[in-house]
Amino acid sequence: MQGKKLGDYIIEVDRIHKTFPDGIQALYDFSTRIKRSEVVVVIGPSGAGKSTFLRCLNGLEDFDRGTITIDGIPLDDNKENRLEIRKEVGMVFQLFNLFPHMTVLENVNLAQMLVRKKNHNEATKVTMSLLEKVGIPEKAQSYPSQLSGGQQQRVAIARALAMVPKVMLFDEATSALDPEMIGEVLDVMKTLAREGMTMVVVTHEMGFAREVGDRVIFMDEGRTVEEGSVEQIFSNPQEERTKQFISQIL
Amino acid sequence: MAPVNNKSSRHIWFPVIHSPWSDIIKFLLVIAALVWLIYRGTESLGYNWQWHRVSKYILSVEDGKLIFGPLIQGLLVTLRICGWSLVFSFFFGLLTALLRMSDSLVGRSVARCYLELIRNTPLLVQLFFLYFVAAPILGIDRFTAGVLTLSLFEGAYASEIFRAGIVSIARGQWEAAHSLGLSTFHTYRHIVLPQAIRYILPPLTSQAVALIKDSALVSTIAIYDLTMQGQIIISETFLTFEIWFTVAAIYLVLTVVLSTMADIMAYRLKIAS
Repeated sequence: MQGKKLGDYIIEVDRIHKTFPDGIQALYDFSTRIKRSEVVVVIGPSGAGKSTFLRCLNGLEDFDRGTITIDGIPLDDNKENRLEIRKEVGMVFQLFNLFPHMTVLENVNLAQMLVRKKNHNEATKVTMSLLEKVGIPEKAQSYPSQLSGGQQQRVAIARALAMVPKVMLFDEATSALDPEMIGEVLDVMKTLAREGMTMVVVTHEMGFAREVGDRVIFMDEGRTVEEGSVEQIFSNPQEERTKQFISQIL
Repeated sequence: MAPVNNKSSRHIWFPVIHSPWSDIIKFLLVIAALVWLIYRGTESLGYNWQWHRVSKYILSVEDGKLIFGPLIQGLLVTLRICGWSLVFSFFFGLLTALLRMSDSLVGRSVARCYLELIRNTPLLVQLFFLYFVAAPILGIDRFTAGVLTLSLFEGAYASEIFRAGIVSIARGQWEAAHSLGLSTFHTYRHIVLPQAIRYILPPLTSQAVALIKDSALVSTIAIYDLTMQGQIIISETFLTFEIWFTVAAIYLVLTVVLSTMADIMAYRLKIAS
């Protein structure tokens, strides 16, 4: 009976709590709402709960209390809802996590064929256009180990995009890259942002945040300390903790 | 002149000493010494070697037709038992490994009990239990009882191998698969197992070799496998040494062929990555 609620907010996070088995509180009463096509940049010191928040959004991590709703589907114990949400939410990891035993083409084709039930030709067509988009169509037959870090991360982005997700999560996508490769990955992410993809990005790349970020959330100790526009957070932070952090990273 | 001479003579000998031939010669010398020892030992026993009588128990020709001797017939039974047991032990092994890693408490407990039970009792006792106790109750024949025992026994050890292989796959691979919406089945089938097989294959081959060797125990429940046929021939002919040497050699050929096949497979997998 529950129809899809096509409200303004594609992601609604309401007071989630998360405690790890070793007693560390990762998220404390954390809430936020994210609009369609919004690019939200999450910053904060390590251990602030940024990654945990991101991983909760596609069910990689369970949370103890609170609710997360994505495009009208509640993320709960229901296995089908969980799978449905994972199809709609793409994720890019710090360490790429490409499948090393498959070529680039197979990496990007796999989920299209298994989850979206496309045949090989349809999937390959989509894959090639996505590889074109991220700038490495000539690497389709290579294995991940033959690519540079930047190229691997671009393949990982293409792989997530192949599912035609409604939301893309980026978990420190450029942190493991050599400096000269960060630019090529950020460029792909900026293109996505301009095309209207809803994005939640955990990053310390302030240039990226300034250029395409709609909103910045500053987290510490599992809570939102301060949030606002990029200008507001970076140039005119209100909270003492935020000022301190911004002065350290800038 | 002397140092030059020295150098050139070393030069001449160098390829001989380091060629495979020197290894082969050393190997043959060791074998010759062993054969000589055995020969001397049996001579002092007064053993009468009759190797010429052995061939008809392997192969013979009658009326222009090739006839399998009892040893080859026994080998075929051993192959059938090992073939089925191999398939089932991999099945039991994989199933148990998956159960042990599942979220279900019942599944984990069942797997745990099975492992402890099998690993802490002798194979021979398990064989007798299945054949003398379980088989009449379940109405299964001795061949099935033998295959079942071997599969359950080797499966318990195979499950540890599978588990170690699966655990060795980085968590990021699971997370990437899940984030793409792949089901647990698809994740195992396309991501985890194809990568784990490379870690699994070498120890699994050892396990398969162990299975072939352990299969000799089924002769105790009167299955006419290679070992049983050997025993029968010896009781009729007293060719004790010849037949046991032959039986051992046949087992050796079997296990070496298996290991070589596994090596080739491992090499191909390496190439494919």
